[in-house]
Order: sequence, then C-alpha cells, then structure tokens
Amino acid sequence: MSRLLSRLRATYGDDVLGLMAFLLLAVVGFSLATPKFLSAANFDSMAFQLPVLGLLTLAMLAPIISGGLNLAIIFTANISGLTLAAILNYYGGVDAPFWAFLVGTGAALLVGAFFGFLMGVVIAYVGAHPILVSLAMMIFLRGLGEFLTRGGDISGFPDYLKPIGHGFILGVPVPLIIFAVVAFAMHVLLSHTRHGFSVYMIGSNIDATRYSGVHTQRTLTLIYTISGLLCAIAGILMLTRFNSVRVGHGEALLLVTVLACFLGGVDPFGGFGRVVPVVLALVILQVLSSGLNLLGANQHLSTAVWGLFLIAVMILRFVAGRVRERFEKRRN
Amino acid sequence: MKKFSTVLAGAALAVAFAFGAQAQDKPTMGIVVKIGGIPWFNAMETGIKETGAQLGVDATMIGPTSADPALQVRAIEDLIAKGVDVIGVVPNDEAALEPVLAKARAAGIKVVSHEGPGIQNKDWDFELASVKGFGETHAELLAQAMGGKGEYAVFVGSLTVPLHNAWADAAIAYLKDKYPGMALIGERYGVAESVDDSRKTTLDLMAAHPNLKGILAFGSQGPIGAGRAIEERRMIGKFFVLGPFSPGQGRKLVKSGAILGGFMWNPAEAGRVFVRIGKMLAEGTPITDGMTIEGLGEVHPDMATHNIITDNLIPINKDTVDELADLGL
Repeated sequence: MSRLLSRLRATYGDDVLGLMAFLLLAVVGFSLATPKFLSAANFDSMAFQLPVLGLLTLAMLAPIISGGLNLAIIFTANISGLTLAAILNYYGGVDAPFWAFLVGTGAALLVGAFFGFLMGVVIAYVGAHPILVSLAMMIFLRGLGEFLTRGGDISGFPDYLKPIGHGFILGVPVPLIIFAVVAFAMHVLLSHTRHGFSVYMIGSNIDATRYSGVHTQRTLTLIYTISGLLCAIAGILMLTRFNSVRVGHGEALLLVTVLACFLGGVDPFGGFGRVVPVVLALVILQVLSSGLNLLGANQHLSTAVWGLFLIAVMILRFVAGRVRERFEKRRN
Repeated sequence: MKKFSTVLAGAALAVAFAFGAQAQDKPTMGIVVKIGGIPWFNAMETGIKETGAQLGVDATMIGPTSADPALQVRAIEDLIAKGVDVIGVVPNDEAALEPVLAKARAAGIKVVSHEGPGIQNKDWDFELASVKGFGETHAELLAQAMGGKGEYAVFVGSLTVPLHNAWADAAIAYLKDKYPGMALIGERYGVAESVDDSRKTTLDLMAAHPNLKGILAFGSQGPIGAGRAIEERRMIGKFFVLGPFSPGQGRKLVKSGAILGGFMWNPAEAGRVFVRIGKMLAEGTPITDGMTIEGLGEVHPDMATHNIITDNLIPINKDTVDELADLGL
C-alpha cells in the first residue's frame, strides 16, 4: 500500500494527488447537495465551458514558467478570431465555402503567432520585462481591434462551423477533444523536449542558462510565439462557440487563467510548473463554478470561493513544505 | 494536508446545503443579466424575487461578475444543465448568445429576453421603451420647456453606442417635424458617458452659441455634467437639460432645477414582467394581440420578430426623484 502510494507520488507528484483529493471532495460534496450535479447534462455543460478557459490558460502557462507573464492572451485570441471572421465574411459570411475556413484558420494562426513572436522578440532582445511588453501589446491589440471593428461584433458564420463549437465525436464534445490534444502536445513539449527543458531553466536562472550555452533569446521568442499560437486556437474556438467575435469577448477570463496556473502549482517566480496539475486546477475551478451555479449561488460568491480556494492551497503548500523539511531533518 | 482538505470540503458542503434546500415542482426560471451587483440589476432582482414568490415561480437572477458575454454563455450553459423551465436574459451581446440559446431551446427550455430585440433564438422579447417613443418623449418635453423655439444640442454616450444614436435620431427627427422653430446646433457630441466632458462641452457650447437654450443628453453622465455647467453659470430656469440618468446621482441637480428631468424604465418592473411572461410560457399560455400583461399594459406583439415593444416610461423629475433614488437607482 505504502509502496503504491509512493509510486503514485513519484509518478504524479504531491501537487497532483492533493488536487485530485480536493476534486474528489468537491464532486462528492456537490453531488450530495444536488442530484443534478452528477447528471449527463451538467457534465456536458462543464465539458463545453472548460476548453476556452483551458486553452487560454495553456497560453499563459509557458510564459509564467519562464518567469514572465502574457497579459495579451485575450486580445491576441480575439484578433486572431477577427482575422478568421473577416476572411469568412469576405467570402460570403454564412455561405462561405469550406476552403475559406481553412484559409482563415491558417491566417488566424499566423496572426496569433505573429503577435506572440513580436512580443517574444521585444522581451528577448530588448530585455524589457514581459509584464510591460505584454501589457503594451494588450493595449495595442485592444485599440487596434476596437478601431477595426468600431467596438462592434462580426457574426453570422457558415453552419459547418457549428460542430466545432457544439458537436460531439463518439459522445465527447469537440471543444474538449481540441483542448485535450493541445494540452497533451504542451505536456510533451514542456517535459520531453529540449525547448521545454530550456523554458524551465530560463525560469530558474536566465543568466546561468545563457552561460551554459542555451540560446535564451531564441527560446524566449519561441515561448511567446507558441503562446500566441495557442491564443489563436482559443480565439477560433471562441468564434465557433459564440458564432460571433468582438474584441471584448472573454475579457473577464484573463486573471482566471493566472489563477488556474497558480492553483496548478506553477511558481509565480518561474522555473516550476507542469501541465497536468494545471489541467486539474482548471477542472476544479469549473466544478466549483458549475456546482455553485446549479445551487443558485450568487456569482460573486463563486468568485469569492475561487479566491478562498487559492489562498487555502497556498497555505496548504506552505504547511506541507514545512512538514516535509522537518521530516527530512529528523531522518538525517 | 488531509485535515485541511477535509475542513475545506466541509465548508464547501455547508455552503452547498445552504443553497440546495429549495422546493421542487414549481416552474423554475433563471434570469441571466448583464452584470451583477449594480443598482439597476439589484432593483431588477427585487422585482424578480417579489413576483416569483407571488406567482409561485422559483425564479433566480444570475448576475455575472463582469459585463462579458463569455460569462453569460457560461451561466446559460449551467442553467441548461440545471434543467430550468424558462431562461431569461438581458444580453451583453446578442449575437454571442445565439448558439447557447439555440441549445437551450433544443432542450425544451423557453427563452425570454429583455433589451435584446434582435435575438433570433427566443420565444419572446419584451421592451418597456421603444426607441422611437423614448426619443420622442424626451424631445417633446424639451420642446415644451423651450416654448418650441431656440437652439438645442444633442449629446450621446459615444458615437458608437447604437441605442443612444437611435434615440437621438428619433428625437431630432421629431423636433424637426413638429417644432420648426427649434434648431439643432452641431452634429451630436459623444461626451455623455463622462461627467467632465459633458460639463466642459456644455460650457464651450454656451460660450459659442448665445441662443442655445437646451441640451438633450442620451447617456447616463450627460445630464449630470450639463446640469453642473448650468449651475455654475447660474442659468437655472433659462437653460434646460434633460435626458435619462441615474436618479440617485442626479437627485440634487433635479431639485435645484439644473436638470429639468428625463425618463427611464423601471428595472424592478422589468424583473416582474420577466417572471410573469416566464410563467405564461411555462404553463403554455399563448401571448396574443390585444391581451393585457400586468406591467406592460395592452400588448401588440410583433408575431414575425417575437418582440413585445411597449412604452412604459416613468418620468424622473422633482416629484419622483426621491422615490426612485431610494430604490437605489
């Protein structure tokens, strides 16, 4: 038994087990409180809500691990979405042919990656702090978007887009599949590639990393380019979910993505953090928000519960760290 | 670590049970509004609760923490999962809600909207003010105060707010047609979302146009700012400012006469109407031309667009401002 536990710990880490335990408790708690929680309808609802926030959180993840932040994710996503929307509209809106969607998607991904790349270059080569650079980019993209759309929305897209935002494949919502694929790719990228290793090293100590021969500037540029690419995917998904794009869609999600990263054990000073616990944290946030909504709780209360949850997790981690330290001292 | 999690889960459970104990069998209704925790929607919630208790409808209001359509979509998804009978919505962005409302209707849920006449996937939309009625009522009041002659200017919240501009269009067209003695100066000024800008623009316009006698400000801060300018210049009684504004914020200015008044619709009444129409839909009562719905009066629904547009404006003036302000509006 203890061997099993230590094996589980070795494979998944303390943070994952702790979050799993909390998730289990939250699920049990809500299903006792309302029979509707464990219903197919509620799982559907959660599965359709999670992916947009999830993709944006993944876009936030690598920059935070590298010791930075990307405040421009929402507006990068929306600018990419607008690119696709504009191209679809140009080729007939509701009647746009499928190839227009493919071209538009390609263009949207390019636009997202381009603005990420631009940020990355400034951060890497000018040496400005990522918070400032991405803040500037956020304001720029927002202004650009508002200017181009005059604050309005573009809506009315072909019917074949519906399955992407609302359909199922083998009973699994399509947005969830997209999210799972991207999350898996990010997991592999961060934990099994050279680039991933460099990301962690840069977050721990950028100077030491540079002296050990890693091309830190190239790595930083790539981090933000990939972040921009993920934003574009989120933007395309939002377009298919809402059948409309506007610069301000999803603005409220920006800080929630940061919250999800920290809940998932990402070090705010960089260097540490993994995809799996972050995904778990996202699931927990979704369970808390959907559960409280099912019970008819005030929305501000669910936000408050999210905040409390983060504080509780911070305290738990601190206490757990102390306890472990003491054990190890005693053993020596 | 374990102990802490247990305590946390216990707390979550306690919260859960506190909100979980609710009766079944009544029709259930969830109303998603633009944003929670602001006076306008607090008043609407009062109306919803009150009428829900009266008519035996389990009606709750959901106010997202920010005015973001993405949050409204999330809230509606949860309502579908909850299996309510009726969903009510005051949209932040009509187009963004279409897919999720289509999903709700496919699940057999009735949809009622307010301030969203363009929504396609709904059973009914109801309005307490028509664009034309709102603009013209303000215009008429201005014309009467100015005696049907003199120059006036129009403020809007911003040049990109479609509703404000539609009100302004209606008001200007009405005055042009009915009161040829009145002249509009300038185009229209997009300052009415800022007290400061409205005040400054009013002072500038007064200096530049000695015959200017009135300002029609569509945008919640416009009448306040213009009213302050009138007070500063001691033009009370000679210069007329009117437009919709928050009674609590403008109470003093209305009492001193710096703001002549304006019109608004009552959010609490909108909440009551939400529940009344929701109950009718849940019970399968059809809405027909000429029927009377409490709060809307006799209705003439547009059967093609499924909109019920009425003019139930309440005046904000010296006599009514206290009562409205006490509602927290």
